[in-house]
Amino acid sequence: MTDDATPLERFLRGIIPENPVYRQLLGLCPTLAVTNNMKAAMTMSGAVLFVLLGANLVVSLIRGLLKPHLRILVFTLTIATFVTIADRFLAAFMYPMSKELGPYVPLIIVNCIIICRCEVCASRQSPAVAIADASGQSLGFALALASIATVREILGSGTWWGIRILPAGWDNWVIMVLPAGAFLTMGLLLGIANWLGTIRSETKGY
Amino acid sequence: MKLRYISEAWLVLLLATGFALALAAVDLAWKTRIEENKRRETIGQIPHLVPGAVRGQKEFVGKVYVYRAFDSAGRQVGWVLPAVGQGFADRIELLIDLDSEAEYITGLYVLEQKETPGLGANIIAAQWRKQFTGKPATLPLHVSQAAIGENEIQAVTGATISSESVVSIVNEAVAGFRRALEGWER
Amino acid sequence: MNNAPGKENTPLAQAPTLSVGPSPHMVSRDLSTRRMMADVIIALLPVIVVSFYIFRWFAIYHLLLAVITCVSVEALSMRLLRRPPTIQDGSAVVTGLIFALSLPGTAPWYVNLIGAAAGIFLGKVVFGGLGQNIFNPAMVGRAFVMIAFPAAMGASGYVSQSTGVDILTSATPLTALKQMGQGTSLMHLLMGDTNGSLGETSALACLVGGFYLCARGTASWRIPAGVLLAVTIISSAAYLIHPTPHWTPLHHLSAGALLLGAFFIATDPVTSPVTRKGRWTFGIGIGTLVMLIRYLSGYPEGVMFSVLLMNSAAPLVDRLTVPLPLGGSPGKRKP
Repeated sequence: MTDDATPLERFLRGIIPENPVYRQLLGLCPTLAVTNNMKAAMTMSGAVLFVLLGANLVVSLIRGLLKPHLRILVFTLTIATFVTIADRFLAAFMYPMSKELGPYVPLIIVNCIIICRCEVCASRQSPAVAIADASGQSLGFALALASIATVREILGSGTWWGIRILPAGWDNWVIMVLPAGAFLTMGLLLGIANWLGTIRSETKGY
Repeated sequence: MKLRYISEAWLVLLLATGFALALAAVDLAWKTRIEENKRRETIGQIPHLVPGAVRGQKEFVGKVYVYRAFDSAGRQVGWVLPAVGQGFADRIELLIDLDSEAEYITGLYVLEQKETPGLGANIIAAQWRKQFTGKPATLPLHVSQAAIGENEIQAVTGATISSESVVSIVNEAVAGFRRALEGWER
Repeated sequence: MNNAPGKENTPLAQAPTLSVGPSPHMVSRDLSTRRMMADVIIALLPVIVVSFYIFRWFAIYHLLLAVITCVSVEALSMRLLRRPPTIQDGSAVVTGLIFALSLPGTAPWYVNLIGAAAGIFLGKVVFGGLGQNIFNPAMVGRAFVMIAFPAAMGASGYVSQSTGVDILTSATPLTALKQMGQGTSLMHLLMGDTNGSLGETSALACLVGGFYLCARGTASWRIPAGVLLAVTIISSAAYLIHPTPHWTPLHHLSAGALLLGAFFIATDPVTSPVTRKGRWTFGIGIGTLVMLIRYLSGYPEGVMFSVLLMNSAAPLVDRLTVPLPLGGSPGKRKP
């Protein structure tokens, strides 16, 4: 079970090879719920980055003191604290976005990416490794959200990051803004990711 | 036995205390700002909604709470009435503006809605809300296909239910406010 | 079950081979997928002819576009997935025809293109091709565009003032009923000179084609019978409680996509149950849902949603209606 990966390796691993959404299928609730436009998706990614960094750092610092049967309790407590801070921050400084994200910011508490990283990495590794891991996973999460939000926002609203990029005659695909569009986009992109993975392993002579 | 609980749980207790203090500090630091955000969202609309108004003031008329809108000289130019009701998908929160005698609707603003994007959500479009301007507050409004009568509102295309919800929220709130106003002035 | 002839005398050495394959299941040697699809196309001819007579070039244009899109998307995706080509079985052509016949005449070209492609790709290819799909591909495509482009597919999408085709200027019979309480004469509903989806306007054309399909055995007569039975019972009950002379149970039967759906869409052998009881259940379920949607929802018509909902229930219906083998249930048989 010993994993001697360097911080840099851990950072890079989280982005593509162990992408939380496309490879581990974790954190799908926000992935489906807040990707109908780029701004919301990126705010969510930012909040997850903050919470994951904070939780991983605290857990890594106190890892020597953790009792096995109390560890999940400690993880949840830590995560909930950082999530509440993130939620209040959004309400204070980005009020319209806070209203748009609604319950999905408090729901980061139950986002399994974070508890998974606390359990798998931070509770066994030094703070430096834990921070590298948190950044890599958050970046991977942000990339996944960005890919889905790009498809959904362009097809569903004709814009990207709020900027009109399709001609005015474009008829918005309302389905892409609705939850059904999230499931379809997610499934198709997941399929493409797997398909590319198969092609790559075939060309490598696997 | 009980000592073991404490010896095992000390970390949890310590962390909980620490986190609680941190959260209290965060709340203290940002609370006023968050409250201000919420208040500004309502009052900030008043100058856009009531022609000539520069500021609003919260007030109770009977049991109904409304905002009085004043112009720069301090004269009352209208009322802004918050109203809530069930829409097609979720609650719809509206601000309804009336002239100072509460006889005409002078505007409508949608504060909060979660109607179907592309259909019911079009109730936020200025084009659609504009229909309410100038409608009488003394008659109940109706949704119709053609919107010919003075108290008729044309439905949003493909979203009859959302349109009807908005109209019935408006009717109920305006009628309630007019009753409260009559009793209050006497 | 494939019991090789001439081997009955050596039961242990030559046990019967049980081969399990996806639907459509053939019960007769001269019934192939290809022949079934040819039958469906022949049965659709009266509907297509009426559609062309009423909607003129709109009908031809949508039918051609949808069929070409369906066939090319299927060919392309089979290539990409490195599977053997399947377009020669004709099922993509049928999907394209039925999808086009369920569109409003004035639907823009991209609605047709996207819906046809979504129907084949999301409705069929992602499940693994013909026989593996849970939902009727044409209805998946229609549901996709219905949600994606509500303005083009909703009640207002059917009406257009400037096309040169007079019938397109009036509301569809079911919309006129729902929004204005207006009836339409049975003669119009029967002949089809009303507005509506391209293939749904004429009850007579749907009946002619439908009877041909059932007589040929390509479609099970039990499914349309179940649909019509449920609609008759529910609308008659409603009529008796609250009589509406301008809209009788006969109007309910002949208006909207009910007959097209009952004979051509619900009878898709892949997405409907295979047992006799199951087919009755499936048909009655669709009829009931259609009436619920017509009476109680905001939509004027509900054939598409009913078919999709019952499609998802079809495997369950099959499980619950497994016929008893000759001699009683195998579990209860004495040794």
